[in-house]
Amino acid sequence: MLLEIKDIHVHYGKIEALKGVSLEVDEGEIVTLIGANGAGKTTTLKTISGLRGLSSGSVFFDGKDISRLPGHKRVLVGIGQSPEGRGVFPGMTVTENLLMGAYARRGDFSKDLAEVFELFPRLAERKDQAGGTMSGGEQQMVAIGRALMSKPKVLLLDEPSMGLAPMLVAQIFSIIKEINARGTTVLLVEQNAQQALQLAHRAYVLETGRVVKSAPAADLLDDPQVREAYLGGALGQH
Amino acid sequence: MLNDFISQVGPSTVGGLASGAIYALIALGYTMVYGVLRLINFAHSEIFMIGSFAALFVINLMGITGPLSGIALVGTMLLLLLASMAASGGAAVVLERVAYRPLRRRGASRLAALISAIGASIFLQELFALVIIPEVFDRPSQGRNQVPVPRLFDRETVFSIGNTDIRNDHLFIIVAAVVMMVLLDVFVNRTRIGRGIRATSQDPETAVLMGVNIDSIIRTTFLVGGAMAGVAALLYAMEFENLRFNVGFLLGVKAFTAAVLGGIGNLRGALLGGLMLGLIENWGSIFFGSEWKDVIAFSVLVLVLLFRPTGILGESLQRARA
Ligand SMILES: Nc1ncnc2c1ncn2[C@@H]1O[C@H](COP(=O)(O)OP(=O)(O)O)[C@@H](O)[C@H]1O
Ligand SMILES: [Mg+2]
Repeated sequence: MLLEIKDIHVHYGKIEALKGVSLEVDEGEIVTLIGANGAGKTTTLKTISGLRGLSSGSVFFDGKDISRLPGHKRVLVGIGQSPEGRGVFPGMTVTENLLMGAYARRGDFSKDLAEVFELFPRLAERKDQAGGTMSGGEQQMVAIGRALMSKPKVLLLDEPSMGLAPMLVAQIFSIIKEINARGTTVLLVEQNAQQALQLAHRAYVLETGRVVKSAPAADLLDDPQVREAYLGGALGQH
Repeated sequence: MLNDFISQVGPSTVGGLASGAIYALIALGYTMVYGVLRLINFAHSEIFMIGSFAALFVINLMGITGPLSGIALVGTMLLLLLASMAASGGAAVVLERVAYRPLRRRGASRLAALISAIGASIFLQELFALVIIPEVFDRPSQGRNQVPVPRLFDRETVFSIGNTDIRNDHLFIIVAAVVMMVLLDVFVNRTRIGRGIRATSQDPETAVLMGVNIDSIIRTTFLVGGAMAGVAALLYAMEFENLRFNVGFLLGVKAFTAAVLGGIGNLRGALLGGLMLGLIENWGSIFFGSEWKDVIAFSVLVLVLLFRPTGILGESLQRARA
C-alpha cells in the first residue's frame, strides 16, 4: 500500500470531524472519496498532508508511519496536494506559483516546468500573469500543476471541479486521467460523484466523519443507495 | 510666508528625506511582520532602541570621542553597522521566540499577542532605564536621561543644488537607506527564502503544503526586519547624537504611521510612506513651526486612513511584484 490511513480521529476543538476513518490507496490507482458537504473529506486530506493533527489512529505512507511528521516535511516524502479552493498565491505569477511547488526540492526545474506547460498549454500562455487574476479553471490548473512540480508519489485533489463549467470539469478530469496514466497515484475528493466514480478505480463514501461504503467505483455507480444520495436519485444511463 | 517657504523648501526637503529614510527602514520591520503574522509588533520600537545602544556600546568600546576620517571612519562605520544590525536582528528573534511563539503554539488570539507585545515593549524600556543604561553606560541614577553619542565625522557640504547645501551626513543616511531597501527587495523577490516569505504572507496553509517551514520563515522575517531597524538605529544615533531608553517610542509610532501610509504589508509602500511622512513633516514645519511636526505627522495618518484605509499602495507583500 502506498497510503494507508488507520482509524483516524480528528477534532476541531471539541467537535469530532473524523470518527475513525480508514482508507487505503495502492500505487497507480485513482481512488475517490465522495460525500456531502461537511462529511469530512477536506479534513481527511488535511490530515494526510499534515495540516491537521490527529487525536488517534495513524497515517502510513510508503511503509512509514508519518502521523507525527510536520506538515512542511510531507511534501518531501511524496505527498502533493491541490487544496480546496485552489490556494493559488494571488500576488505571484503563474511561473512563481509553479516554482513554489518545487520549493522543497533543489536543482534545475526547467524540465519539470516544461512538462507542466505541456500538460496545461493555457498556463504557458499566461505564465507571467498574477495568480489572483486568473479564472477559476485556470487557477485549478495552476494548483494541480504546482502540486506536480513537487514530483509527488500521490496527488491529493480536493474538489477540483468546484465552481467550474461542465466543459472545464471534463477537461480537468481528462488531465487527471492523463496524470495517472503517466504514473502518479491519485486520491480525488469530490462532491461531483458521477464524474468522480467514472474516473476512479475505487471509491469510499464518507458520511459525517465515517466511511459508510467502499467498493470498486463502477459498483457504486449502480448502487441504489449511492444513486439516491449522491447521483440525483433516478436510475439512468451513465 | 511664501518667501519663507521658497527659501526653506530646499533644506527642509533634504532633512525630510533623511528623517523619512530612517522612518522607512523602521517601517519595514512593522510591515514584514504584519505580512506573515497579521500582527503589529508593538515592541519593534525597542528593537530599534537596542540597536542604537549597541552602536553606542561599540563606539565606547573603541574609545571614540571625536570625529574620524578616512579609512578609520569607513572601518568604524562598517563595524557599527554590523553591531547594530546584529543586536537588533538578534533581539527581534529572541522577542519572537519568547513573546509570540508560545502564544501562537497555543492558538491565542492576535489581541493576546498584541498585549504580549506591549508588555515586551515596556519591559525592554525599563530594563534599559533601570539596569543597562546605569550599569553599562555608566550613568548611575540617570537611566532616564539622555545619553550623548560622540560625533563620528565632521559635517560638511558635499555639493549644492541652487541655494540648498547637501550635507555629507544627510547624503549618507539617504544612500544607506536606499541601498538597504534595494537589497531587501532583491531578497524578498528573487531568493528562495524570499518566495517562502511571500507565500506565507499570501496563504500560510498552502505554503505548508509546498514544504515551507512557517516557523523558520517567521524567524527569518523577524531577523531581517530587526536588522533593518538596526541600520536605522545607527543612522539615528549618528545624526541626532542623543539616545534615551524610550528613543524608539515616537520613532516607532511614526514608522508605523509610515507603514500604514504606504499600505501595511507592502515593502515598497514602507519606503514611500516613510519618505512622504518625512517630507510632509518638514514642509509642514515651515508653515506651522517645527513644534507642530508631530501633530502634522499624525494628522496625516488620520486623513489617509479616512480616505484610503488600505494606504497608498494597498495592503500586503502579495502585491510586492504584481
Ligand atoms: N476550521 C474548522 N473549525 C471548526 N470546524 C470545522 C473546521 N473545518 C471543518 N470543520 C467541521 O468539520 C466537519 C468536516 O468538514 P470538512 O472536512 O471541511 O468537510 P467536507 O470537506 O467533506 O465538506 C464539518 O462538520 C465542519 O463544520
Ligand atoms: Mg471540503
